[in-house]
Amino acid sequence: MKGIISGIKRMEIHDGDGLRTTVFFKGCPLKCIWCHNPESISFEPQAAYFKEKCIGCGLCRNEHTPQKAVNCPTEALISYGTEYESQQLVAELEKDVLFFKNSGGGVTLSGGECLAQPDFAAEVAKGLKEKAISVYVDTCGFVKREAFKIIIPYTDRFLYDIKAIDSDTHKKCTGKDNALILDNLKYLSEKGCSIEIRYPLVKDYNDGECHKIGAFLKGVKGIVKVKVLKYHHFAASRYEALGMINTLPDTQTTDDDLKKTVEILTEYGLKCSEE
Amino acid sequence: MSLTRGEMLGYVLENIENEPKDILTKDCDTLEYLFDNCTIKIPKENRFFVSVNTADITWDIIREVRAKKFSSVIKDNNLEDGFEALAYTGAYDYSHTTTEWDNLLALGLPRMRDRIAEYGKKNPSKQAFYSNIIRVYNAVLRFVKRAANEALLAGKKEMSTGLENLSEKAPETLFEAMQLTIVYYVIQHLFDGTLVRTLGRLDSLFYPFYLKEDKENADKLLIDYLKEIDRLKAPANIPFALGGTDISGKSLVNELSYKMIEAYEKAGTNNVKFHLLCSENMPTDIMEKALDSVRSGDNSILFLSDEKVIESLLKQGAEKQDAVDYHVVGCYECGARGELTCSCNARVNIPKALEYTLNGGKDLITGKTVGLENSGAFNSFEELYAEFKRQLDYLCSCAMKATDLWEAHYNEIHSAPILSGTYVSALEKGGDLYCDYAAKYNNSSVNAIGLATATDSLAAIEKAVFKDKLLSLEEFCKILRSNWEGAEPLRRLIKNKFPKFGQGDTATDKIAADIVKNLAGKVSGKPNVKGGVYRLGLFSIDWRWEFGEKTAASADGRLSGETLSQNTSASFGADKNGATTHLTSVAAIDASDTPNATIVDIDLHSSAVSGENGLNAMLASLKTYFELGGFAVHYNVLNTEVLKNAKLNPEKYPNLQVRLCGWNVLFSSLSEEEKDEFIARSVK
Repeated sequence: MKGIISGIKRMEIHDGDGLRTTVFFKGCPLKCIWCHNPESISFEPQAAYFKEKCIGCGLCRNEHTPQKAVNCPTEALISYGTEYESQQLVAELEKDVLFFKNSGGGVTLSGGECLAQPDFAAEVAKGLKEKAISVYVDTCGFVKREAFKIIIPYTDRFLYDIKAIDSDTHKKCTGKDNALILDNLKYLSEKGCSIEIRYPLVKDYNDGECHKIGAFLKGVKGIVKVKVLKYHHFAASRYEALGMINTLPDTQTTDDDLKKTVEILTEYGLKCSEE
Repeated sequence: MSLTRGEMLGYVLENIENEPKDILTKDCDTLEYLFDNCTIKIPKENRFFVSVNTADITWDIIREVRAKKFSSVIKDNNLEDGFEALAYTGAYDYSHTTTEWDNLLALGLPRMRDRIAEYGKKNPSKQAFYSNIIRVYNAVLRFVKRAANEALLAGKKEMSTGLENLSEKAPETLFEAMQLTIVYYVIQHLFDGTLVRTLGRLDSLFYPFYLKEDKENADKLLIDYLKEIDRLKAPANIPFALGGTDISGKSLVNELSYKMIEAYEKAGTNNVKFHLLCSENMPTDIMEKALDSVRSGDNSILFLSDEKVIESLLKQGAEKQDAVDYHVVGCYECGARGELTCSCNARVNIPKALEYTLNGGKDLITGKTVGLENSGAFNSFEELYAEFKRQLDYLCSCAMKATDLWEAHYNEIHSAPILSGTYVSALEKGGDLYCDYAAKYNNSSVNAIGLATATDSLAAIEKAVFKDKLLSLEEFCKILRSNWEGAEPLRRLIKNKFPKFGQGDTATDKIAADIVKNLAGKVSGKPNVKGGVYRLGLFSIDWRWEFGEKTAASADGRLSGETLSQNTSASFGADKNGATTHLTSVAAIDASDTPNATIVDIDLHSSAVSGENGLNAMLASLKTYFELGGFAVHYNVLNTEVLKNAKLNPEKYPNLQVRLCGWNVLFSSLSEEEKDEFIARSVK
């Protein structure tokens, strides 16, 4: 089965335990205004043009399309979106297997939203498990229940984003209601899955959700840790290169904000830390 | 009367150097004179030893007087053009040595002298050697006594008492053991002129003394010791080693190993570095401790695989115990116990072999024919590659020939009475380590430079000419001769998009491994003029700059004059698939062929190795690399300066990654404002 990804990063330490290879699936059902991976929002291949790298060779004929990116000698024109057969992707991901073994690491399926390509994601996860490689699934949760059902058997942990509990806040920040997300989290909990919650803290947008998130998560079984992620605006140049409207909020999350949030969530009995 | 350095040098040149005596006798005359007449000063901040004004006197005599007599040997043997082109070099090497520190600490200076005399009694035919060395050691003891007196006059009672004791017996306390290593360093390095390039395995050496010492005192002593070593300001740093194994394979890590790392962190030195000799059964926490120290950035720590080093030395012909007790002299190179590790004799410029392959043996920078002539026509990549190997073999031959020419004349260039007095093999044979080749292992070395540059260039030719048929070989050569003029898109295409060594591309990595295998076949185990063999190394250090300046444009997209690749690492910017891939590629090389080191430099941004998991990742990467057969790793955790430079010169850091929320991005892809913010965040 084929799927589309926007990139693979090796020796990752922030996407779960140990040393991991993270694969970024292309396409996401949410439109988070603070999205740091704008190249992973669309399900289609996209071209990004970094004009400062261009030497004007003319090989692309000034057509900034994914097809023309192949010819670009300077990588001023990049194509995001590569099709892979699941087994081909597994072969690529298993290259660091010894490093995984020595660090307690593995592969993290991320995105975009990896479960927005549910069958492909499950096949990749299955292929990795057959090779005894740890699989973490990094998800926004806004996917059909079936997507979870088919990947649970091959998943060691879910890295589960909770951005807001309040529905209106969630809609404002991501464009979608969060009922499905919260429901899916409960489902994973009921199924006995290991879950790491990830809460991207964006000042003035969802920082007011802290207590509500703590109260909601308090009763959810299976949560092994909660990580509060710091917001940055470093994706601006990629929005421009992709020809997308930059929606990044002009706000700062400070180390102090992170610390306070961690303290609050800890008070709810959650094992919480900053990322 | 205090004599200046110039006065002493003048005296030696006028009154000793011109005497019709052998080099060893002249050097012993010089040493006696210097020990008795040098000016001793007591730096206020010194706790252990004095300072002297003898630095480089012996070197000046060697370089300015003795070696000049033989400067025509290279020209006379038609090697001059190769030297000029930096296709190869070859020379004598009286740096990169170590004494047998354990014997020195166990015996002390007076007993070392007595031991020389005892060996002399058994070997009457070599009396001249023994009596020369004994009189030098007597001069050393007079010098140490004089230093003790001066220290007392300066109010340094602890220093003075220690030196008095050392002039009479072996060290008994941790302070005296430390003091003796500094005294020895000074008498060999600054008088004998044979450079000491490691203090040895300090955790094992000092451990018996450490056990007897009050722990608080010991902590302070360790820091003061490292700071005083730092003030010696030796060229290219002074290393020490920690860890290693014994003959049964048991790890030698002890409590002091940890204390040494802590002291190293606290001392804040910039002229001291250490080698961690990593074994499979070494406690993991000591590796973590050292890696954690690396993350702080302000230090230099090299991680070596004990298993691979020993394997390489056994392959070179060392006995098992000697291989196990190896030393690391200088930056990376390893020698067996009893080996006089001439680790920097010859250098070979690997990309030059390709330059000559493509140009009929002609050097494009000097215009002279340096390589072997050929037709320049190749019907397949295999034919071209075979010719490349022929050229590389030839350059190695020239480099070894040049080295032989120099090393045949040690008995007219340099002797090492102080160092020789500590080598059991020299005492048994009754000969000097250099003049008489009296070490147990008298080996020489060839370091091959620019492996990744050459590999990437060969891979580029194979793909562009023979596989993709983008252009003919003739057209490609024409472009290279013009330094890529009018071919910038092709240059960028090759530089940015063609497979490179270090990216996990099996075919490309195989080329690198094959080049090394061929180099080893040509170099390793080949006899030198000293009764020893040649050993191969793959480190370039800063030579890659001068060699790069003399190397024409290469097919990997490198412009004429640009630096060659560093050590055994991927070319700059080619490590785009991350550190794990980079390490896996380098591990494709059979490092057991390179006792003179295979070394990979891994650049990591501090944010990519932060936190507990960051340390775990570094440890796993290191252990895995060694499991895969790696030899040595040097981690660079990038700092603010690097980021600032990357902002000013983005072309030099095309793959510098910084950690954002979610994943890493290329630093070069950030806007100017984003870069500024990241730089601000990286300030400690």
